[in-house]
Amino acid sequence: MDDRSLADAPGAEAGGPVAPSRCGGHARRPLWPLILLVVAFASSALLAQYQKKPPDFGGVHAFPTPTHPEPRGVVLLSLDVAMLAVGLGLGAYFVLKRRSRTGTLLLSIAAIAYFGFYRKGCTCPIGSIQNVTLSLVDPRYIISPGIIAFFLLPLLAALLFGRVFCGGVCPLGTVQDLVLLRPMNVPRKLDRVLRWIPFLYLALAIFFAGWGLPTVTSSGKAIVLRRFLICEWDPFIGIFRLSGPFHMLAIGAGFILVGMFYGRPYCRWLCPYGGLLSILSRVSWKNVTVTPDKETYCGMCADACPYGAIHDYNADRATCVSCARCYECCPREIVRLRREGIPAKRYVSVPGGRGPA
Amino acid sequence: METYPRRYAPVATLAGRGTAGEFRKSLSGVAVGADRAIHALGDGEVRVFDANGGVARAWKAPDQAACLAVAADGRVFVGAPGRVEIYGVAGNRVGGFAIGKAGQPADVSAVKVFRDAILVADASARLVRRYDANGVERGLIGSQHKTGSFMLPNRSLDIDVDAAGTVYASDTGRHQVTTWKLDGTPVAAFGKFGMARPEDFVGCCNPVNLAVAPDGCVVTGEKVAARVKVFGPDRALLAVIGPEHFDPMCIHIHLAVDSSGRIVAGDPVRRTITIFGRS
Amino acid sequence: MSDTTTRRKFIDTTCRVVGFAALGGVGAVLTSRASAHGVYQVDPLKCTSCDLCRTTCVLSLSAVKAVNEFSKCGYCMLCPAYMDVTSAPNEKGVPSGKVCPQDALKRRVVGKEDPDDPNNNYYEYTVDEPACTGCGKCVKACKPPMGNGSLRLEIRYDRCVTCNECSILIACPEAAIVRVPAPGLSPLVTHGETANG
Repeated sequence: MDDRSLADAPGAEAGGPVAPSRCGGHARRPLWPLILLVVAFASSALLAQYQKKPPDFGGVHAFPTPTHPEPRGVVLLSLDVAMLAVGLGLGAYFVLKRRSRTGTLLLSIAAIAYFGFYRKGCTCPIGSIQNVTLSLVDPRYIISPGIIAFFLLPLLAALLFGRVFCGGVCPLGTVQDLVLLRPMNVPRKLDRVLRWIPFLYLALAIFFAGWGLPTVTSSGKAIVLRRFLICEWDPFIGIFRLSGPFHMLAIGAGFILVGMFYGRPYCRWLCPYGGLLSILSRVSWKNVTVTPDKETYCGMCADACPYGAIHDYNADRATCVSCARCYECCPREIVRLRREGIPAKRYVSVPGGRGPA
Repeated sequence: METYPRRYAPVATLAGRGTAGEFRKSLSGVAVGADRAIHALGDGEVRVFDANGGVARAWKAPDQAACLAVAADGRVFVGAPGRVEIYGVAGNRVGGFAIGKAGQPADVSAVKVFRDAILVADASARLVRRYDANGVERGLIGSQHKTGSFMLPNRSLDIDVDAAGTVYASDTGRHQVTTWKLDGTPVAAFGKFGMARPEDFVGCCNPVNLAVAPDGCVVTGEKVAARVKVFGPDRALLAVIGPEHFDPMCIHIHLAVDSSGRIVAGDPVRRTITIFGRS
Repeated sequence: MSDTTTRRKFIDTTCRVVGFAALGGVGAVLTSRASAHGVYQVDPLKCTSCDLCRTTCVLSLSAVKAVNEFSKCGYCMLCPAYMDVTSAPNEKGVPSGKVCPQDALKRRVVGKEDPDDPNNNYYEYTVDEPACTGCGKCVKACKPPMGNGSLRLEIRYDRCVTCNECSILIACPEAAIVRVPAPGLSPLVTHGETANG
């Protein structure tokens, strides 16, 4: 049979004029009528043999249209971005203004409930590095304003307030925070070396996301396969999805085990986004400070910090993840808060703290 | 290896690659004139091949033309959505008429001529319409089926008419070749679904094409099995022209039989025409 | 001491401004390329129904389901995707074996029904999604020339968790999982315009 267009098929009348979407163009929300898929089939000469009118049942049968559940709508995607912005703002408020560990902890639990278990952890700012890389390398890649916001907002917050994303919002960090039992010291020299790994991982992730490696598929097709390494090696995604391949669950369990004794191993020594945040946090406008002229050199903050971010009575802005544990245990802080009428606990052995020095 | 009473072998190929009559985009139908000239519909035109395989005449066919037939006097009838166009021997348009209601063009999948009657297979209504020489509809064939029409899951109806005026129609949904009188009275039906026996028709909708030979044999074309079968006047299976001659992806095998009994088969995927003769 | 703080502050402020500018620049470039929200979908022209959709989705019941495009369906009684046409026929001559291992392809008679002769009936075929595993056996059986090609595998967005990188995409031997703008039903239009995978 000859090639026939589908214009005379039923349902063509139902679909209106269709504007093709250009991925490299402006952000558009075209309405794709269902008929577009059927019209698209016309591009295949072989399938074109089948484009005829369906059987006419004499009016007793109405053709159902296949149902097509819609993906998450624009409203809900905007809600995700709004929740992220609010979370970052609250994180900055609780750490820098209220100096409250409890507030930060509650915020991080709310964040893990929303971004971790409800949204199942995808798409996250850590993974957005890959989407951004791919879009910069190849302008045809479809990237939504939501993912751009997910990439930029925590970085902007880091420039302004430090790593408030890590301490108050990031679900991966919260998992590690919640399992921390008895933080142990990591020798400084070792810590210095390990802190280079995130940049190595960042380079690898960027390479594989932007350029990829040529591979041969199991059917013999030679393609260049770009891989999202950060997604594939995310240790905690199995917890959020409550399922996953065995090796991923094993790695997740391993990180949790290590995380019981060494605070936030993924954040300090692996997270590529954390590497970016640490660079920006160094020059942030406001950040966690151990105010030198008011403290008594008791050193309890340094003991309380599970991440070894306080050296010589200074908070190392690159490492500090804005968890507010130091503020919680500072005797001066307790005095100040009680004076302001805010009930503050006396420093005892709290989760994350190392106990009295 | 099954042996059949007759054997057919290819004796010629037309419109092959590199030849003058090569079809580049489509091959939609074949027909044989009384002078054994092979007519083919494809690439948007009607082509008449001469005895050497070259193109004797060609003219533009209507848009989306799907089938053609040659009357005894040499006039060419071409079926297109909602229309039948009639051309003279030289390719000049001498007439035409509309099929189906205005605004709902009928899907014309086959057209055949018997004396004054023009038979049009309307695949959307799943019936055969009989028109007189002036284009006036005179009757329906197939409406006396149990369900009032043919069953066409593959949305195509192929017909042929023999010298006695019996109309043959392929009822693909029922896996039958049905015969009718011109006034619509059913005569007989043969064939059934089956995957094992060669005389049965395979798959969900077969035989997709048919043609009637001058000696009363019925030639059927099947998809999936990609074979052409010849049934005798008593409906016994006489020959199978195997799948090695046709592309396995064919959903039609356009068929015609010339006056000497040679089978002309058009492969719409490879876009070649093969002539099979008895060996 | 005040000299150091001023110099330090100057460096900090400069770096901060550079940081904002860099983020702003990246943001501007990306926003100029921003398009609709992207989702993954199966390209039916490339899909070979290899069964990997069933096994490689991160969900235990895959988000890929078979979908019947009714306007292309032949409504055949002898549907090659519903029944195994090579299986032994029952007493009415209808093959008794089923193609779907979960029996997720359901059918009902439409139009005028003939209870005596099934050959006279048209059937409407729908997929029972909670039972469908996305193995693609029915899709393979419906492909031309045997069928009309109305069945295809499709990622269903009420089940898909929209991973940033679809794990089926990595495994697919034909690179048939493509990224398309939402609502995600037109992979063939953006065929050749997407860059992922």
